Amino acid sequence: MAGLRDKYCIVGIGETSYSRNSGRSTRDLGTEAVRNAMEDAGLHPWDVDGMLNYHVGDSTLSQTIATDLGIRLDFYTDTFGGGSSTETIIGIATGVIEAGLCHTVAVYRSMNGYSGLRQGGSIGQGRPPAKVVVGPDLDTTPYGMTSPAQNFQLTFARHMYEYGTTSEQLAHVKVACSNHASNNPRAYYNKRLTVDDVLDSRWIVKPACHLLDCCIETDNATCIIVTSADRARHLRQRPIKIKSVAGRVNKPFQGMHSHYQCDPITRQAGYYASRVAFRNADVEPEDVQVTGCYDAFTFTPVLLFEGYGFCDPGQGGEYVSSGAINLGGARPNNTSGGQLCEGYTHGMNLVIENVRQLRHQADDGCPGWREGKHSYDYSEGRCRQVEDVELAMNMGWGTPAVSSALILGR
Amino acid sequence: MADYMNLILEVQPTDSEHRGYYEAARAGSLVVQRCTGCGLLRGIIGASCPFCTSGGWEWQAVSGKGVIYSFEIVTQAIQPAFADWVPYPVVLVELDEQRSVTWRWGIEDETVSLRLITNLVQRDDSTRPEDEANVAIGKRVEVCFVDLTDDFALPQFRLSDEAPEHAPWPAG
Repeated sequence: MAGLRDKYCIVGIGETSYSRNSGRSTRDLGTEAVRNAMEDAGLHPWDVDGMLNYHVGDSTLSQTIATDLGIRLDFYTDTFGGGSSTETIIGIATGVIEAGLCHTVAVYRSMNGYSGLRQGGSIGQGRPPAKVVVGPDLDTTPYGMTSPAQNFQLTFARHMYEYGTTSEQLAHVKVACSNHASNNPRAYYNKRLTVDDVLDSRWIVKPACHLLDCCIETDNATCIIVTSADRARHLRQRPIKIKSVAGRVNKPFQGMHSHYQCDPITRQAGYYASRVAFRNADVEPEDVQVTGCYDAFTFTPVLLFEGYGFCDPGQGGEYVSSGAINLGGARPNNTSGGQLCEGYTHGMNLVIENVRQLRHQADDGCPGWREGKHSYDYSEGRCRQVEDVELAMNMGWGTPAVSSALILGR
Repeated sequence: MADYMNLILEVQPTDSEHRGYYEAARAGSLVVQRCTGCGLLRGIIGASCPFCTSGGWEWQAVSGKGVIYSFEIVTQAIQPAFADWVPYPVVLVELDEQRSVTWRWGIEDETVSLRLITNLVQRDDSTRPEDEANVAIGKRVEVCFVDLTDDFALPQFRLSDEAPEHAPWPAG
């Protein structure tokens, strides 16, 4: 079974700036991102007939965005979800095109992740904490366990206990992202950091999350346009082929907290998703040259690398601190700076970056980047293009129990 | 319904899963769901049996003794009332009644255990968090209860007198 390997392509990418004070509606941000992606692809509004987005009750839905842009939809749906959604709905896009429901789908995420609803939900900012606790929230909210860092921490701590994973190893994930972000003019944080910077930042949740182990929160919208390989040939950009998708693959106990009933709790659902992703793409982890790991925390890439077989279980800490994930390393990860430094989009910016890498058009400090001319000098302010990249992979994280994947080829 | 940490904890009339759990706690009993189909115990409250799909279940009292399987120390509170508690521990307690068992639909090395999420509270005051220096994987714990109303108590865990199951982590 090959899935829909190479039949569908990513032909357009669009973003807004990454900020903490957009002063704009998610409607305004969303239309800008979709407009930018259409412009990038060389598509007109009448060329787009499908739309998909994901949200957590914090966004503007497809019909409104489409109407504002004069797009007439033959298909749309708005799905609920955060991390792991990007890869999943790109997969849905290929499916609905294959089914003949439409031919060209704009996939977007628009959020005021700092000035609007904040995932971390700190006191006095963002989402007001719920006062009345009912249903499954009774199981954890009375114990002061509500934020993502709190919800995932029991897996992180157990991994540190079982395998000896250290805060220093985790800090290398942030250091790599900060180095990459320093070569990305769009990145919200573009200052290079050291391991000590991370270790010296204040604790949020022990034992795995200092402040700088946590992703940033930003206001932004992002868009990716998917169409068939046939249509892609006539558009502005080199088409980037979708080789496989794994969409929201689960562990046997799928809830944020129910998965703690089932060992090993240190295993991320990517362990199961990897089979779908690699089988359908007909490639192996060793073939992948660039990765984009959902980096809600420095720990999430560690578990994704293990789950998807880029290293053995328990070796993720060693993998991320070995230099492999740095630009110039064996398999660079999150070359834009990721959600730890570039911006927080619930994963879509990580896919957009891999599309740029595969076009050989990372918009770095090299004057000729538009023509694919790069220096491959990864010092500060210079290049962030990986040389001769042909195959890239995104690994999405919803919780330890949920994972999605996307393998893209040039 | 109960007022706790500036939260209103409410078992709604339609919440057929949580009904009875807090009343049992008020009577001094920690209960878990036991499937009447396959007999396995469930550490997280649900409507049906994830091990066999049966919709039949009953509350079963358990000893309330277990071990800290994992933990976290929250240093930045989200809920305002917890700001007075930081740094406070959340623990994943593995109860003695069901540990690392296989089930019909598990594959490879997957096993299930009976685990609850609570705070680790002080031994002599269940309304205050245990000192973070005393929290470690491997330490033995026992249930205690925070009485909130005449028919509602919140289960918590505290350190017990039993020796740790293995060298505690972190050490010290």
